[in-house]
Amino acid sequence: MANPNKSLNDTLGVKRAIRHFDFSEPYWEGTKQKKLLIQYCKKTGKYQHFPRPVSIFTGRRRDIEWREVSGKGVVFSYTIAGRGTPAFRGIEPYAVVSVTLDVGVNFIANIVNCPAADLKVGMKVRPYWHPVGDGTHLLMFQPDRDAA
Amino acid sequence: MSLRDNAIVAYAETKVMEKSDRDVFVLGGEILEELLDKTGIEKSEIDGLVLAGLTGTGAANPFWAQTTADVLGLDVGFCEQVHTGGCSAAGCVVRAAAAIDYGLCDVAFLLFADTHVLEDKTDHSHSYRREWTDPYGLMGPPGAFGLLSRAYEAKYGLDYRMLGKIAVTQRNHALLNENACEKLRVPITVDDYLNSRVIADPIRLLDCVMRADGAAGLIMMSRKRAKQKGLTKCIIPIGYAERTNFKGGENLVDVTKSGHAVCGKKALGEAGLSIKDIASFHPYDDFIIAIMLQFEAFGFCKAGEGVSFIREHDFSFNGDLPLNTGGGQISAGQAACSSHNLIEAVRQLRSEAGKRQVKNTKNALVTGIGWINYGRNWGSSAALVLVPE
Repeated sequence: MANPNKSLNDTLGVKRAIRHFDFSEPYWEGTKQKKLLIQYCKKTGKYQHFPRPVSIFTGRRRDIEWREVSGKGVVFSYTIAGRGTPAFRGIEPYAVVSVTLDVGVNFIANIVNCPAADLKVGMKVRPYWHPVGDGTHLLMFQPDRDAA
Repeated sequence: MSLRDNAIVAYAETKVMEKSDRDVFVLGGEILEELLDKTGIEKSEIDGLVLAGLTGTGAANPFWAQTTADVLGLDVGFCEQVHTGGCSAAGCVVRAAAAIDYGLCDVAFLLFADTHVLEDKTDHSHSYRREWTDPYGLMGPPGAFGLLSRAYEAKYGLDYRMLGKIAVTQRNHALLNENACEKLRVPITVDDYLNSRVIADPIRLLDCVMRADGAAGLIMMSRKRAKQKGLTKCIIPIGYAERTNFKGGENLVDVTKSGHAVCGKKALGEAGLSIKDIASFHPYDDFIIAIMLQFEAFGFCKAGEGVSFIREHDFSFNGDLPLNTGGGQISAGQAACSSHNLIEAVRQLRSEAGKRQVKNTKNALVTGIGWINYGRNWGSSAALVLVPE
């Protein structure tokens, strides 16, 4: 087990060159203004993440629209990398969290401003936008300490 | 005609190597030769070639099955590569049976050869990974199983010593398996498991499979033909089911539930067996916790009771539920397109497992797990029930 007293490293210093699928482009465009756009199925009233070319509920392209959401949620699960992927080597330990957003999808990301001892399943989080360098931002999370 | 009208008439297997010292085609040739020698059939009688799609060496070649047929001099009426990841080996058995039933071939050669340590052409870039997990440094399968383990622990609690018990049992089986990778044929204790290096907390080194090189293969034909040829000790597939992208049309799912629950019900139903009848269990093991999740999914115990089930049972080859008696992939090495648990089940049912032979050879349940999906568990699940003729 990771030592809970040990601090977690953030991953802000990692250089990232992210290749987008064309059907995800509206998401990345939104991040330029730090807006979180998630795909919404008009037919079923449900959200989906990660982006797909069709609604995973109906199989149709035309049922999809993009909606801005708060990005608030709770930690559904997390793992602490003891050995990172090549671009992340040397900054271990760092955390990867899966967050259930308040619109009912899970979003995998990193967490910042969070000591290891604070990181818990069920913890409330809010967005943290990290500039990637190409005008877009990468969504990360941070503890939402003001949340009721 | 049905699944159970078909027979596995022979198996072959190389030793698992940390890194192959010979080309993947040489390994394929060794398996072919051994199978021809064991069955006495001529190469010209093989008219079906079925390869597992889970190959690192062949991953970049869209003509891998044809290339293999060419290299081995096989002239076939059915040439197939099965792409269900770690379910491919079991998937090959049922597809070969279907092809034989349909008349596409009479004698099928199933080949599981891979040298993904020596030469890996795997490319995951055209998938969710490049946008949605790589930018966050989530390390492939260990990272995904780290998230899965933590989610399970939050829901039910998790006594890691019980996962250690499984790790030790499988390692003891590898010690008795001369074909297991030598690097892994070293005894371990539960403490060794608990203290092994953290890879993706709570996933430790001794939770994980180690990729290795090697090959295995089977010959299948109809039972009728096997009988005509005087082939004995045949193994019959009597139940099979697979499920890919279980609940793929939903957004939030219970990640502790996989397609195995539906596969188990269907495969056991076709076999006419209940889970309590299973004599030995050969579950896909990429991570130790996957075995525990399968105890729950197949109904050996209820959801959330995996830990107490492990505590109450002896999974040694001579215990009350023999488990991955060749060491599983975790202690034999992840080689041969992840076919070893299937090959071990066939070997056990033929009573050819030597020092680790199980007593009850009435049947065996073999499973598959294939691919890792986004934030859930895995992409494909499979279950195959085998019995001796």
